[in-house]
Amino acid sequence: MTVILEALRYLGYVLVFPGFLFCFLAGMLLCGIDRKLVAKMQKRVGPPILQPFYDFFKLCGKETIVPAAAERISFMLAPLLGLAALVVIQLFIPVFSFTAFYGMADIIVILYLLLIPAISIIMGGAASGSPYAGVGLSREMVTIISCELPLVLVLLAVAKTVGSAMGTGLCFSLSDIAEYQEINGSLITRISMLPAAAAMLLVIPGETGSHPFDTAEAETEICEGLLAEYSGAALGVFKLSHAVKMLTLSSLFAALFLGGLGTGILVLDALLLFLLCAGITAVSISLVHAVTARLKIEQIFKFYWTVVSLPALLSLVLAWYGL
Amino acid sequence: MNLLGNVLSYQHFPIYAIMVLFMGSFLIAAFGENRRVRNILALLSITASLIFSLLLINPVILRGEIIGYWMGARSIAGGYAIGIALEVDALSLFFALLAACAIFVSGVYSIQYMSRDDNEKEYYTLYLLLCGGVMGMVLSGDLFNMFIMVEILTFAAVALTAFRNTARGAVEAAFKYLVVGCMGSTFILVGTAMLYAQTHTLNLAQLAQLVPGNMNTATKAAFALLFVGFGTKAFIVPFHPLAADAHGAAPASVSVIISGVLTKSGIYGIIRITYFLFQSMGLGTMQFLLVFIGSVSMFVCVTMALAQHDFKRLLAFHSISQIGYVLTAVGLCTALGLSAGLYHAINHTLFKGLLFLAAGAVLHETGTTDLNKLGGLARKMPHTTVLFLIGALSISGVPPFNGFASKWLIYQATYQKAVESGNIGFLLVTVIALITSVLTLASFVKVSHSVFFGQLPPELEKVKEVSWGMRFAMGIFALLCIVTGLFPNLVTTYLTEPAAAAAFSVQRYIEAMGFDGSAAVEILAGSFRYAGVWEPVSWLLVLCIALLAVTIAALAGRYDNVSLCRTAAGDSKYQLFYGGEEQSFSQLGGDDMFWGFKHNWRGYFSFMHRLHSGIVNDYALWAVADLALVMLFSLIVL
Repeated sequence: MTVILEALRYLGYVLVFPGFLFCFLAGMLLCGIDRKLVAKMQKRVGPPILQPFYDFFKLCGKETIVPAAAERISFMLAPLLGLAALVVIQLFIPVFSFTAFYGMADIIVILYLLLIPAISIIMGGAASGSPYAGVGLSREMVTIISCELPLVLVLLAVAKTVGSAMGTGLCFSLSDIAEYQEINGSLITRISMLPAAAAMLLVIPGETGSHPFDTAEAETEICEGLLAEYSGAALGVFKLSHAVKMLTLSSLFAALFLGGLGTGILVLDALLLFLLCAGITAVSISLVHAVTARLKIEQIFKFYWTVVSLPALLSLVLAWYGL
Repeated sequence: MNLLGNVLSYQHFPIYAIMVLFMGSFLIAAFGENRRVRNILALLSITASLIFSLLLINPVILRGEIIGYWMGARSIAGGYAIGIALEVDALSLFFALLAACAIFVSGVYSIQYMSRDDNEKEYYTLYLLLCGGVMGMVLSGDLFNMFIMVEILTFAAVALTAFRNTARGAVEAAFKYLVVGCMGSTFILVGTAMLYAQTHTLNLAQLAQLVPGNMNTATKAAFALLFVGFGTKAFIVPFHPLAADAHGAAPASVSVIISGVLTKSGIYGIIRITYFLFQSMGLGTMQFLLVFIGSVSMFVCVTMALAQHDFKRLLAFHSISQIGYVLTAVGLCTALGLSAGLYHAINHTLFKGLLFLAAGAVLHETGTTDLNKLGGLARKMPHTTVLFLIGALSISGVPPFNGFASKWLIYQATYQKAVESGNIGFLLVTVIALITSVLTLASFVKVSHSVFFGQLPPELEKVKEVSWGMRFAMGIFALLCIVTGLFPNLVTTYLTEPAAAAAFSVQRYIEAMGFDGSAAVEILAGSFRYAGVWEPVSWLLVLCIALLAVTIAALAGRYDNVSLCRTAAGDSKYQLFYGGEEQSFSQLGGDDMFWGFKHNWRGYFSFMHRLHSGIVNDYALWAVADLALVMLFSLIVL
């Protein structure tokens, strides 16, 4: 009996919170808030906050066309795999003191799990056979390479800071990082972590592929690149994945730097997490979106490996010397 | 009955495992005219070798024995060992198992893969000679026999590189390999001779007893010679250009052996001399040497691979890049590091074998490995595509495949080493390892797009899936990739940790052959705990549940239309969008895929382009320069 209850509890985690339902609602809302904010910053009226939901359901009602030249199975499976992989990552990220799946993955694993949605969109695009997808694929991969270095440095800096405080030397476990922040307060209050947090804020738009780092999708040049041949429900799932990715990365930021703010009551914590994510999105995605123009791909690479990596490296060096 | 029991005692299995391969080779040379006889002989000998190595798991790994085996009677004259010896500890057996497994799968693949070539008899003769050489080298207990086996395997590998000598560049590649490979063998021979002059023995156990107490200029020089000599066999920097040429020309089944097994025998040689013979791994400088060469290999070769547009040359550079991971982890000289390095060695054999076989399948069906001429094969060769993707995701370190499991350990090992030693340099190694991994992914995205996805060129319309025998061989590797990725605890408990423990118990290694090991410098391996957690099976379970949920939701929604809706021929809405361009002009070649990345590093890439001139004189010069540097280094620090 207890086994069944346990199984149901975990199923609930996967399907409701922090799994699908939460990801769907929170991700789409974040996306809506982002669009509204950008519009406000640019003195436009902007779409209603619920617009992403309307878009999604409208897309699901449209005909889905698979090009004759495409490799059908990969083409149709890619969006589903990407979404599932993202939701699974969300299960490992602690909501303050609560972690749905405890002791299964650490930050290095999450770094690599984040590649799976990117790989699935790349595979889907490649399977369509479109030349625009080819260009988009190349740019998407370079964007991933660009973001990887600062992200790695940020994660190592956090691991070192928490590890030396806990006396184990280094610590990759997210729940240990959350626990450390419960006791010692948020990591962002440490001066050595400030540059890393700033770098991470700049990594988020790159990883989600939002403006000005959206060369891989650049509608006006390469017709949405990897998504050029997608339509209907499949496109809708990709749009949903994009929204969920915003949620995943901003809650990863919250887990790394803003831990220890929780109240211990799960519903309140979930709400608080969503508000924090909205704040992070507003700063790192909407603000950056509103004030910049799209970069070229080689500029993105240069930007991430210099401007963003340097503060992350600074943090790592500071953490290394115990500051 | 007693005689039979004696013959079947496991003490003899090491020599049987070597002997069956050589016997197979000689028998095929003598009686291999008939195709059926030849195939049966080859299969028999590789299967027998695999079985003998598997049977050794019980005594050597599970019971922890060290088999010291003397050919004929053991004779010690004046306290010095004379005679040919085999010595099998968990480390030797670990490499022997890797070799036997790769030899078996590649042999099965060869039967259909090589069926269109002439001179199949010569192929199997050389193939088994190569395999026997590798097997003999890792099981040998005697430095001179290691050299003999290295010679055998080098010459067999050179001949096999040029096997398809009508193909462009095959003879040239073999010539380069011959020149530099012979230099490497000569270094090993000279190093062996110098050690013999100093210690009057060639037995590895006795050398391990005597060398550390007799450190002088000659033994230090011998270290450099042996190190560089085995380095050429592992193709680590600066010998990586040879690997690219050799793999580009050799048949895929031989590439599996060269990349999966031959390079491992070089790593084995390096472990034997650094951990056992000279017992110098406790020195920070010696760790620096290995880690430095390893990190340079992994980074330089992955960037070289990004610039390639030939499927097999690209794989060759990745091969060395992954060997760099192994060498780096081995050089850390911690229990976690060595175990992680050996784990990666297993995984490298499996996924690189799989990828080479997939490249061979593509070559077999299309006749080319040029990324610019291929594309869209996923619809023609669906099984090969899936198998290739498993290999590609494994090498790129994507969970839950095996490459991730071992790289995860390597990141931890390097970072832990950095924290323990307080040396920030090891932190840089962690970062390089992480970045190399994503660059590896980039280059396999390129391959999968330009070979298996993307547009199908009209001349490849008639391509078919490869025969079942080749798919079966690839399937074995793919299955092992998944198993070793999903159950990392089994691999570390039963394979890599015993082997790593063997490397840290030099005294037992010496005493197993009856010498006095009390003076051996024991390096304390130390205990370790993982800094993070990774549960692949539970993760996969959760992912499957999530994927199932998404799929059900999608099917319940409008997704099922897709499977019902068949594409109507000629309906323009099912055509790809070309923006008004002709289709033939819109093909995206694999050549310059990651322009945005390469543009920023154009200085580095053009420097590398100038450096890798393809002239064998240059590469020979690099070998000499490398030797000079390592010798200088070892004279100063040892």
